[in-house]
Amino acid sequence: MASPALLDLGVAFVAVAVAAALAVRVGLSVIPAYILAGVVVGPNPPRTVLGVDVALVESGALVAGLAELGVVLLLFFLGLEFSVDKLLRDRRRVVAAGLVDLAVNFTLGLLVALAFGLSLLAALFVAGIVYISSSAVVTKSLLERGWIANPEADPILGTLVFEDLAIAVYLAVLSAVLGGGGGGVAAVTGVARAFAFLGALALVAWAGTGLVVALLDHPTDEVFLLQVLGAVTLVAGAALLAGASEAVAAFFVGAALSGSDLVDRLETLVSPLRDVFAAVFFFAIGLGTDLALVADVAPLLVAAVAVTTLGKFASGITSGRVYGLSATRSVRTALALVPRGEFSLVVAALAATAGGEVAGTVPAFAVGYVLAMTVLGALLLEAADPLTRALAPRLGM
Amino acid sequence: MDVYEAEVPGVGYKYELAVEGSARVVVIVHHDGKRDLYLRPEPDADSEKLLSLTGEEARTLGAVLEGAYFQPVELEDTRVPLGGAVMEWLEVGADSPLSGRTLADAAIRQETGVTVIAVQRGSTTDPSPDPDTVLEPGDTLVVTGTRDQLRDFRARMAPE
Repeated sequence: MASPALLDLGVAFVAVAVAAALAVRVGLSVIPAYILAGVVVGPNPPRTVLGVDVALVESGALVAGLAELGVVLLLFFLGLEFSVDKLLRDRRRVVAAGLVDLAVNFTLGLLVALAFGLSLLAALFVAGIVYISSSAVVTKSLLERGWIANPEADPILGTLVFEDLAIAVYLAVLSAVLGGGGGGVAAVTGVARAFAFLGALALVAWAGTGLVVALLDHPTDEVFLLQVLGAVTLVAGAALLAGASEAVAAFFVGAALSGSDLVDRLETLVSPLRDVFAAVFFFAIGLGTDLALVADVAPLLVAAVAVTTLGKFASGITSGRVYGLSATRSVRTALALVPRGEFSLVVAALAATAGGEVAGTVPAFAVGYVLAMTVLGALLLEAADPLTRALAPRLGM
Repeated sequence: MDVYEAEVPGVGYKYELAVEGSARVVVIVHHDGKRDLYLRPEPDADSEKLLSLTGEEARTLGAVLEGAYFQPVELEDTRVPLGGAVMEWLEVGADSPLSGRTLADAAIRQETGVTVIAVQRGSTTDPSPDPDTVLEPGDTLVVTGTRDQLRDFRARMAPE
């Protein structure tokens, strides 16, 4: 008998709450904890822990819907926090650091995946997953280590800004490719429609901030919150209808509001919602994860973790040099950018809709990869001081 | 004095200003109003977190620093946007030659070029004092003039 939807949700929230508490206790990112919580209580093995049946939650429509809202809100905030100003004011260095980061890490991901015999489409997904650092984890560690007040914060945040824009373009292109998979005239018009939709949104984001603010602003917090949530969700849903990426649509709604007077209120009012639904999203990824599939891609995982950690090291150190920083600060730039997280999983969620080999391999890879990189990233940051002392003198800067 | 400002996505804003030569004060203002205050003693050093303040604490501290509670007289570095002129608050001492004289009698502007724009007595402030106002010991004169004029005026106010 199927359990009531409310019970599923209850189990889901308790599971992520326990997972978050444990993660905070041991000082790790909450993202891998949410995924593991989903794996444990989900329908895939392990189905029992210490003889107790823990296969409590099926991936029902309700959890799936809330998880989609999580993706939409994650991308909405990415857009909201996307600083066109920062990009333009410091464009030479941001673009230089960002291009190095993209060229090194995206290419390495692509090559590793192809070397392991993945199709080009699957390899493109893997490349995106290993390319994008976790803004949430990186920013949090900057605050915790106090690096936020140091010059190394500039290349780190600059790289994240570039990645934000890159991932929006990447998601838009890949979802169009998936949508137009059939080929022929229908596919071409489908892709054209998707890009027309996103292009119109981009135009509104670029020129229509005043209009969007006037539309959504309201002195009562409750009304304001509902209007924002309504607008974001509706636009994201309309994007799906137009065959475009809902995530990119949400990004543009956020971007339209970035730099407006509403940012502080949105950060205060909407970010708790984002945290809740993003947790459900990570949890839902865990629900859908079969650890046996993750084990199947273990060789690819090990290779990707090794190669892309070194990749972020190389690109991070180069970015530090682009910003004219000392060897120590350049090594820190590299260390800080290692963790991958929420956006790798957003890419994986898109891959899951692709069907075939891509849907089988890529999400399993993404889960294993994010689990490995959040833990490895935390360990590297923990050992940041001895590592920089050991590495900095060897850079000859 | 330059204040370097940068947006920190997902956090808020970062402000950096130079103090004592190469040292930098870094302030992170979070979206929720929290403020972190850091000091970087030298360009190559790490920033040390000095304080983490709530919005209200930060505003109170800011007001104290700004001089809202007590305004010291910074002789050479009073920053008031009056072109070449500056503003100062000077107390009339018990043995000051001005004590007991009217403003007209003291002929401050004629002799020094300094203008008395207000007289503070106890908790009241007279914003455009009458020439017949008799100056008393303990009065605070709010005056404006160039630095040289004010130096001259301070010399005259002090007992011979």
